Amino acid sequence: MSDAPFRNPGWAGNTGGFELSEDQVRGDDFVGARSVEGDHPSTAATYPYMLADKHPEAPLFEGDFQARFEKILTRYPTKQAALLPTLGLAQEVRGHVGPESMDRVAELLGLSSAYVRGVATFYTMYNKAPVGRYLVQVCTNISCNLCGADDVLEAFLRYTDSEMGELSEDGNFTVIEAECLAACGFPTCVQINSRYYENVTPADVPKIIERLAAAGPGEG
Amino acid sequence: MAYPYVSDREVRVISRHFGDPAARRLDTYVERGGYQALRKAFELGPDAVIDEVKASGLRGRGGAGFPTGVKWSFMPKQPTRPHYLLCNADESEPGTFKDRELIRWDPHQLLEGVLISAFAIRAGHAYIYCRGEFFETTQVLARALEDAYAGGYAGRDILGSGFDIDVTIHVGAGAYICGEETGLMNSLEGQRGQPRVKPPFPAAVGAFGMPSTVNNVETLATVPHIVTHGGAWYRGYGTEKSPGTKLFCVSGHVNRPGNYELPLGFPMMDLIEDVCGGIRDGHALKAVIPGGSSVPLLNAEECSRCTLDYEGVVAAGSMLGCASVIVMDETTDIVKQVRRMVQFYAHESCGQCTPCREGTAWMTKVLRRIEDGRGTEEDLDTLLDMSHQMTGTTICVLSDSAAAPVVSSIHKFKDEYLALIRRGERVGVA
Ligand SMILES: Cc1cc2nc3c(=O)[nH]c(=O)nc-3n(C[C@H](O)[C@H](O)[C@H](O)COP(=O)(O)O)c2cc1C
Ligand code: SF4
Ligand code: FES
Repeated sequence: MSDAPFRNPGWAGNTGGFELSEDQVRGDDFVGARSVEGDHPSTAATYPYMLADKHPEAPLFEGDFQARFEKILTRYPTKQAALLPTLGLAQEVRGHVGPESMDRVAELLGLSSAYVRGVATFYTMYNKAPVGRYLVQVCTNISCNLCGADDVLEAFLRYTDSEMGELSEDGNFTVIEAECLAACGFPTCVQINSRYYENVTPADVPKIIERLAAAGPGEG
Repeated sequence: MAYPYVSDREVRVISRHFGDPAARRLDTYVERGGYQALRKAFELGPDAVIDEVKASGLRGRGGAGFPTGVKWSFMPKQPTRPHYLLCNADESEPGTFKDRELIRWDPHQLLEGVLISAFAIRAGHAYIYCRGEFFETTQVLARALEDAYAGGYAGRDILGSGFDIDVTIHVGAGAYICGEETGLMNSLEGQRGQPRVKPPFPAAVGAFGMPSTVNNVETLATVPHIVTHGGAWYRGYGTEKSPGTKLFCVSGHVNRPGNYELPLGFPMMDLIEDVCGGIRDGHALKAVIPGGSSVPLLNAEECSRCTLDYEGVVAAGSMLGCASVIVMDETTDIVKQVRRMVQFYAHESCGQCTPCREGTAWMTKVLRRIEDGRGTEEDLDTLLDMSHQMTGTTICVLSDSAAAPVVSSIHKFKDEYLALIRRGERVGVA
């Protein structure tokens, strides 16, 4: 990913004559190369779970994911505290957390399904229904807004030919408006699956879309 | 290293590694003196660490500015039950983007701070509550934490001291309110992140019903430096009541937005004009929100006499909050931006308190009406009235935060509301 064709080396961009490539900034060294079954239990809940490839029917909590789930349990004094990380695991596997996943999580943690549903619906990051391969979240909060975020949002909707929150025809994109992503000095900030794109202007949008649409399984 | 922009007026203590990816590695961090403060803390003992932090005058960087050493001293000295340290890395106050930078550029600095602070409050387990959107950031921290465990800096018998401290990264799932300390504790426990009624305070009944302390990332990242150099050294920066350095997150209409670490008490106009290279395209300043979207706006005149310390910003008519300086030039459409902020609070209200749940939703509607040129002058009274009812009446201060930009903008930029109401004229474009 070092030859990103658009102005976005993963953070404040080329605004300050910064000489590192994107690879160096977010290199595999620090971000990618950790095993799916989890390394140290203290970090078992941190894996990126917004992946492009989504398997809505995949079995939940088997193999590596079972190992992760068990590690997570060891980190809290109560079973209930594992609820958020476990919902996160379910989303990592299937791309969303549907009713069946919630029931399964409830069963695993000895909670009622109604309780799990009540908690899951409180949090915006659990996709209650399947989303596109790429979930595009454009921050339109104040700092980005002052610098033209509305135009960036519009550009994403236009170039993906989709309505806000609706799956694009090719199944690739779901574009939504996001609240502040804590990157306000690098406006407009757009989160696409696990990644932040910063300093995005409307002119960058077609290039980003093109690249993502062309990315094969496991990429992007 | 040029982290996107630097200024020679900065005093880079906690941001000294920004822009230098090598610092993320355990070996480099240790080579540069890292984890020596942890060693020193073990030698000093918990009470001496608390005393040093008290002496430094360090105030919480999560928004409220409560003295950190004093907060720590509320924790029981003779633990009979488990204690918890909760590091607040939920950073979601609009305009704030410092904690993410602290974590992804210098994860070991934060971990060292977490370990020392946990030791000081006699906590055997620290949770770092990272906001869910921080996938990449959290990966950086996770790698660092795994390395810290492997290197003997975390876990059992740390550095042969006999002390055990566990650290767990916990990821949230998208809810601003989980940044509020009791909402954070509920969320950690696997509940909806709804704030709790206080008292009891966290030091008595916190996470899992046990004595707990919540501290912001920036607060904890500062601790190793205070332990290393002493409280008196820290007081060498800043003002009497607001000692030390602070990261200022500057966003909006300046030429060089970014994080700048400056001594507290720094003049606002020097920050905008000198450090940030002035307002973009030679425009004039219209307004500044000095502490994240939860605090009142300042107009240009108020900015001109504002110094950036807790007291200075209050004297100018607002609050320092988390020092998230949002700069707006003359092209800004104040009504639109206020509506956008209030819309955020309406979206993020946890819904427990009627004034907050109903008030934020109604204010958004009324503001939209005004913005669309369908407002009346009575709407302004309605907004002020609602704001009044939303202030000081709820479980947490999210409700007050939503009211702050509304009240301050109506008082300071009434002309813009009136132009829209009377003539349907928008002032500003952005
Ligand atoms: C609605 C609301 C949101 C908050 N969000 C955050 C946050 O994202 N990060 C943070 O550190 N503190 C946040 N706070 C402040 C915390 O409640 C708490 O005071 C702080 O984490 C304490 O740390 P400190 O003493 O180190 O500042 C928030 C407070 C409120 C009322
Ligand atoms: S003030 Fe708002 S966010 Fe805070 S507890 Fe009440 S309803 Fe929830
Ligand atoms: S306002 Fe867009 S990232 Fe904060």
